[in-house]
Amino acid sequence: MSFLKFIIKNPFRRKTSAILSIIGICIGIVVIVALGGITNGLVSSFEDTIHAGGADFSISGKETGNSAYGTNPIDANWTDKIANVSGVSEAMPIYVILTSVGNDYMNTLIGIEPNGTSMADISIKEGRMFENNSSEVILGKIYADANNLSVGDSLKVNGEDFKVVGIYETGDSNMAGGVFTSINKVAEINGDNNSISNIYVKVDKGQDPQKVADKIDSMYGDNITTISSVMEMEQMADMLNTLKASSWGISLLAVVVGALGIINTMLMSVFERTREIGVLKAVGWSNSKILTMIVGESLVITIVSAILGSVIGFVATTFLGPMMNVTPTFTPDIFVQAFVVAIIVGIIGGLYPAIKAVKLPPTEALRYE
Amino acid sequence: MDNIIEIRNLVKSYENGHIKALNGIDLTIREGEFVSIIGPSGSGKSTLLNMLGALDLPDSGYINVAGYDLTSNKKLNKFRAQKIGFVFQLHNLIPNLSVVENIEIPMFTSKLSNKMMRKRALFLLDIVGLHDKAFQKPSKLSGGERQRVAIARALANNPSIILADEPTGSLDSKTSVKILAQLIDLHRNNNVTLIMVTHDMAVARLADRVIEVLDGKLVSVG
Repeated sequence: MSFLKFIIKNPFRRKTSAILSIIGICIGIVVIVALGGITNGLVSSFEDTIHAGGADFSISGKETGNSAYGTNPIDANWTDKIANVSGVSEAMPIYVILTSVGNDYMNTLIGIEPNGTSMADISIKEGRMFENNSSEVILGKIYADANNLSVGDSLKVNGEDFKVVGIYETGDSNMAGGVFTSINKVAEINGDNNSISNIYVKVDKGQDPQKVADKIDSMYGDNITTISSVMEMEQMADMLNTLKASSWGISLLAVVVGALGIINTMLMSVFERTREIGVLKAVGWSNSKILTMIVGESLVITIVSAILGSVIGFVATTFLGPMMNVTPTFTPDIFVQAFVVAIIVGIIGGLYPAIKAVKLPPTEALRYE
Repeated sequence: MDNIIEIRNLVKSYENGHIKALNGIDLTIREGEFVSIIGPSGSGKSTLLNMLGALDLPDSGYINVAGYDLTSNKKLNKFRAQKIGFVFQLHNLIPNLSVVENIEIPMFTSKLSNKMMRKRALFLLDIVGLHDKAFQKPSKLSGGERQRVAIARALANNPSIILADEPTGSLDSKTSVKILAQLIDLHRNNNVTLIMVTHDMAVARLADRVIEVLDGKLVSVG
């Protein structure tokens, strides 16, 4: 038998106590993994929203506030004005209206130019892009699946039959359930050829999007507003930090409770094994070996907890997240954090009982009844 | 034969000197000798045995065991691992480990590979006649069998001295005889010095020499 096998076997001598400790730490790890996944999911969803597709920032009418799909229209000729601002590489108009789509009395219909897929951050997975000014639509995969539509089907938009020519996918969760057609068709449905909702702006390579946005604000700030992703990110950073801090706070609380559990388990274990520790000293075990054994046993419990907690946290959040409209995002660092926390708790939880064991005089330990 | 134990004016007291457990002990024991230590409860015989095994340190005096000066040596765990085998009144086996694994426990201090540890543990079980019980848990064994496992464990690191503290104290007389016979056989066949604390004068007389401790002093050395 190896020393390692001995350490692994020991914590399970008192099965109930070991299982209770594992449950305690496991809850802490589940909380870390679940909150980590949810926070990451919220951050990435937020970044997708703010990023305004493949654009660096977007422009909307003065009154529209900070909605990327503000419905207060701006004059269509702003697109050319913005495109001419130095530092701007591309400016693409986007026209969003509410109209009857399929079985929905009111739904968003998004109009873009047929060559604007990259700016809108969408990619055609099936079929093709709609043609300009035609009665053709492309559907987000989520919308198509939900309404059982595929390429070649017909979809009623504002009372007119539109042909589904393509299905797209996107990293932007706001766009994933959308219906797109050409911007001219949207203008026609809305009966307003001179308006658009937003302008997506991409800056020249090497240009700072924030500086270009500031320049546009200073030139045209009386009429339009830039929604800079960078700027928004800065504003939202505080909120995200608060979110992360609260998730860490809750995790820490869970971990502290778990840590107290493991200290208690290991103290009980040392207490019950006093005579045995005396025997180990009598047969020549050094203090460092006894310390390693007890801290090792504590680590066995916390590492088992970390494995179980990570699996439970991952599975539970993956299945339950979408029910709460959250798509969790798991990155390796979440699991690394969970294991680091488990190891630290294991060391701290085992150290105090181990020091107590080491300090036991062997003769007293052997006399212990 | 050389002296394996030399003790001069050994003093040990407890509770700030109020209780003198050992009060100026002088003793020499030769290598390979079998010595019984007798005396009433609280006389200091177990304290003396603990001093010999470096489980406790004296307040003053000189104690040299198997070449280790125990009053100045700091690596007492190494001394215990290499030179001493303890047999206690209670077997003190680890319940969740098999019999053979219990015997391997002292060998964790050696440089033996896992395979060699297992080989030696099985060899020792053979010596105490429990080879067939190697993979059973101690709870499946009788009291006498457990004590034989404890003896095998004491021999794990091939010690120079076996210190036995009432090794038959918790056994019936028939089993006690077997255990004592086993200890004496090991002492004779391997030239191991055997020092045994006992209450029982009949058991003590089996030794080459009987030492009586009373109030922390040796009163007769016979």
